[in-house]
Amino acid sequence: MDKLYSLSAKSMKELLEKREVSSVEITKSVIERIEKTDKDVCAYNSYNFENALKNAEAVDAKRAKGETLGALAGIPLAVKDNIHVKGLKTTCSSKMLENFVAPFNATVTDKLNASDAIIVGKTTMDEFAMGSSGESSKLAVAKNPWDTSRIPGGSSSGSAVTVAASQVPFAMGTDTGGSIRMPAAYTGVLGLKPTYGTVSRYGIIPLASSFDQAGPMARNVDDLAMLFGAVCGRDTKDAVTKNYTFDGYGDSVKGMKIGVPKEYYGEGVQPAVKERVFEAIETLKAQGAEIIDISLPSTEYALAAYYIICCAEAASNLGRYDGLRYGFRGSNTSNVEDLYLTTRSEGFGDEVKRRIMLGTCVLSSGYSDAYYKRAKLLQQNLAAEFTEAFKSCDVIITPSIALTAWKFGEKAGNPAEVYAADICTITLNIAGLPGMSVPCGFDSSNNMPVGFQIIGKKFRESDILTVAKCYENAVGGFAVKEF
Amino acid sequence: MKIDIRHIAKLSKLSIPEDQIERFEEEMQAILSMVEHLPEIEGSAVVVDTTNTMELRADEVIPSASREDMLMNAPQVAAGCIVMPKVVE
Repeated sequence: MDKLYSLSAKSMKELLEKREVSSVEITKSVIERIEKTDKDVCAYNSYNFENALKNAEAVDAKRAKGETLGALAGIPLAVKDNIHVKGLKTTCSSKMLENFVAPFNATVTDKLNASDAIIVGKTTMDEFAMGSSGESSKLAVAKNPWDTSRIPGGSSSGSAVTVAASQVPFAMGTDTGGSIRMPAAYTGVLGLKPTYGTVSRYGIIPLASSFDQAGPMARNVDDLAMLFGAVCGRDTKDAVTKNYTFDGYGDSVKGMKIGVPKEYYGEGVQPAVKERVFEAIETLKAQGAEIIDISLPSTEYALAAYYIICCAEAASNLGRYDGLRYGFRGSNTSNVEDLYLTTRSEGFGDEVKRRIMLGTCVLSSGYSDAYYKRAKLLQQNLAAEFTEAFKSCDVIITPSIALTAWKFGEKAGNPAEVYAADICTITLNIAGLPGMSVPCGFDSSNNMPVGFQIIGKKFRESDILTVAKCYENAVGGFAVKEF
Repeated sequence: MKIDIRHIAKLSKLSIPEDQIERFEEEMQAILSMVEHLPEIEGSAVVVDTTNTMELRADEVIPSASREDMLMNAPQVAAGCIVMPKVVE
């Protein structure tokens, strides 16, 4: 078995349980794979190989003794570099935290450890998760395995890439406005943003606290569900989490109603993307789903509301980076005011500065009523429209992104245009709903992957996974890049 | 809305070099004209999401992080304290 690294997590689990392979063998295969391919795709900010092998040995020893093992026992995975793993760096791909070592575990990490999973490294991302292309990273800049001259999408760029390049079977990302679903779509893998309050945010560096949610990325539905099941649930350290147990999923859409909102198929969506997504809808129709036209009229204002709320929260959250207690400290230490200025001006990249300034601007005296308050009102309207729409359907299907992966630098100097690419994913964060990107073929003009998004009712991840599983079976699985 | 980069940068505790002011102003202006596109919505108070309320944990004494762990990322430490520039003369 020379290609252990390329197996699904499900297959790894079966082989481990039958004792046909050991976790050490799988972990070694994964490490060799990463060592061989990561110079080309740059998915990682740091590796955890030594600990990974020790942990794999420990899991093998537990298995040999017949001890009870967790759901992910012995299976390697990667976590995004904004999730604390005690003793490893958490950099957020920023100069500001380049040397920050996590003093404690995120709850997600504790849960992965309790599941006996093997963490092999920390994946790169847009700086402080601000970006949808992966280009704003100040450390490793991940490349799309389908064409390394193109962006992998962000902000969970490294997690998407390590899965797409078959370095690991699955990885954890985080999603504030599409940061799991967009890179999943750009790299042809699956990515789930769970319902807000499903996965604990404790120990994850915040971007916009009322939108942030961690979630799994994988190459098939079963693996994705396995990882999701391991990390979800109530955490007393995150007051918004709910007593949630993931109750599995089916594989039939017979009798299910799928809503198709016209606002998500407008002029901004590339024709190739629209074609592929409509084909996916047709496939599900052929499997017995009923297709219903719906309308979500507030969508046209969602982008504005999203950037106002997100940046307002981000500007507040990033106020903590003052150069005093942790992280980067600027060179001028003669007085505290200058220290703040040099620390923040030297430590943050341009995208982070833009968002802090936008957030500060919309919250500043005289503007907060016109911007922040209106955005919050729009958030309510949008959430209410989704609630209304879900009275007539079980899930909603849209494109995951309006376009396919572009060339590095192609949109440099035009941040507003890049922001506009988020339009299909941000509405879910605004409304707190779960959504998942599923690959649905390629754009024939550039051979880059296209993804469609399945949106579910709150805490109904099972519906989303059922639709995804049915689609996966109907199309005979998803393409994997030979890399 | 016209953005005053110097003023906003000051409020944000950022210093933008003079030769970058124009570029930031252009980029921020484009972003602002995108977010200005919001309708007038009737309504005053933003209500709490009653379907998704927070649940606090029990107020119990549990072990907390050690001083060493909390100081290991500090840029400058002396005698178990974080060193920073003098604030009061």
